[in-house]
Amino acid sequence: MKTLEIIGLGKVFGSGRLEVRALENINMSVSPGELVALMGPSGSGKTTLLLCISLILEPTVGTVVFDGETIFQDGWTGLDVRRLRREKIGFVFQTANLIPFLTARENVLLPMDLIGVKGEAARKRADELLEYMEVADRADYLPALLSGGEQQRVSIARALANRPKLILADEPTASLDTTRGKKVMEMLKKIAREHQTAVITVTHDARMIEGFDVVYHLKDGQLNHQGAI
Amino acid sequence: MDLAVKDLKRHLGRFLTTIIGVGLLFGTVLAMNGIYRGVVFEGISLIESINPDLWVVERFRGGPFSEQSTMAEDFHYSVAAVPGVAQASPFIVYPVEREIRGKSTRFSIIGYDVFGGLGGPKKLTAGRGIKRAHYEAVAHKKLGLSLGEKIPLGLHQYTIVGLTDDITSPDGEPVVFLSLPDAQEVLFQRDNETVRNQRERLRRSLARNALNSQETDRLISELQTETHTINAVLVKLAPGADRLKVARHIEDWLYFSVYTSQEEINLMLRGRLAKARMQLLIFRIILLIVSMVILTLVIYTFTMEKIRSIAIMKLMGAANWVIVHLVLEQSLLLTVTSFIIGWLIIHYTQGFFPRKIFLTPLDEAITFTLALVGGLIASGLGIWQALKTQPALALGGH
Repeated sequence: MKTLEIIGLGKVFGSGRLEVRALENINMSVSPGELVALMGPSGSGKTTLLLCISLILEPTVGTVVFDGETIFQDGWTGLDVRRLRREKIGFVFQTANLIPFLTARENVLLPMDLIGVKGEAARKRADELLEYMEVADRADYLPALLSGGEQQRVSIARALANRPKLILADEPTASLDTTRGKKVMEMLKKIAREHQTAVITVTHDARMIEGFDVVYHLKDGQLNHQGAI
Repeated sequence: MDLAVKDLKRHLGRFLTTIIGVGLLFGTVLAMNGIYRGVVFEGISLIESINPDLWVVERFRGGPFSEQSTMAEDFHYSVAAVPGVAQASPFIVYPVEREIRGKSTRFSIIGYDVFGGLGGPKKLTAGRGIKRAHYEAVAHKKLGLSLGEKIPLGLHQYTIVGLTDDITSPDGEPVVFLSLPDAQEVLFQRDNETVRNQRERLRRSLARNALNSQETDRLISELQTETHTINAVLVKLAPGADRLKVARHIEDWLYFSVYTSQEEINLMLRGRLAKARMQLLIFRIILLIVSMVILTLVIYTFTMEKIRSIAIMKLMGAANWVIVHLVLEQSLLLTVTSFIIGWLIIHYTQGFFPRKIFLTPLDEAITFTLALVGGLIASGLGIWQALKTQPALALGGH
């Protein structure tokens, strides 16, 4: 079963003379453990596509099937999209976007707390993930005291907290230098391989997607499949 | 995970300074409530404490507190003879500023019939009431005097035999009780030079009217200022006596004005205290509005500072109640702790105020409720902003 299938998806902003076709006839599918890169120039629709995939932005037309469930078919199908986001999607942002008043561990605990996983089991899972992301020694630090790379790794640990089916990463290396950026991308690859989690990454930097399974190129809202790197 | 508490703990310094600041503001609001109530309480405390059935005062005057009332002392015998009157006592009250323990001090003197008459102190905190016709006094403990201490008033020294704390003048000054003759003496006592000058003027005036020196000397003593005057007669009615009928009789036959204690209180509230009350009431309302606006802004700012974190949580799929809980809990914590601080501040500092701060549970409850309403309105605005925040804000896009 595919993790994500998108069929004929389109997104139009505005109407009449102000109408902007941000996405047109997007078709793509992502399998468990697959690494997908979305590339394209600024304004090509990458973030809009990511928002549509993450069930935040309502597409105008098309069908979105997530983990076997049809979420969108020319309109929301009534499934609780927030619950799906809580339970099945992990997010990694351009900047780490950690909650500033929570420690690294608490940031990882938060998604579990949102689905009712609390106590020692949650704490153990958070510590394991921080260990996995090699930031266990920074567990009790506030985000402001972590380096950019450490913050990004904590944010990946947070994205993994609820064992998501899909990780959406919006230019996760944009705010990092090349070495730290590559390390973050290695982490994402490792997650995809070891946890069979599908990963969709938006990036500008072709050097960062070495070893990805599929690369899509977006231009003027249209998707162009480019195969593996 | 209690996000509200975690946020406040991470910003503990800011949280503490905020609640101390807002708490001081609430303290000021509560103090203003207390000052307002205190002005009214002190303004009528003398009337409420003495509380005779009727106050007989100079005709067409609202005395003895709302305006000056003067009448001859012996009229109380006439009042006592009115059918339905069980007791009628002379009463005098006036403010003075005298040196006590080397410090110029303002207080009011009350003169009354110390041998069973009305108008004396109701409750003593120490010592005894006045038992002798002269040179004994009962003082309010705010004057800081001790039992047995002597204070100079006019030509004589007065020994403090008792202390009281249940009565102040309408201006909030402490009172000193004296026997009626002593109070009259202190009020009308003039220094020898003034008396000599006054007599000399009279002598010259009488001489101009062709009176011989023997007649002049005789008339001078007759024409001295009348000192046997009082401000009011306090009346206790006989059991079953009709208050209105007695009042009407005194007004019609003795040509005085008569008020009940409640009417005296109303005269004070509508007259002497009215402007001060209104001034304080308006200031109190303004202060309350300012406090609510500031509290609302503080809570709203606290929420808006977290708007990006809220967007992240929404992106992660946090349910609305998680966001509502965060904003509401923080708002309530800020409101309640600020109010408690304000409450503590005013309760521990009220004794330092020169006039009475009369705090009532009702005022405190109303202020707290209004603060809570302000907090909830601010939370509502914050929640509205938080709920309409787009999760996309976290991505920095759209």
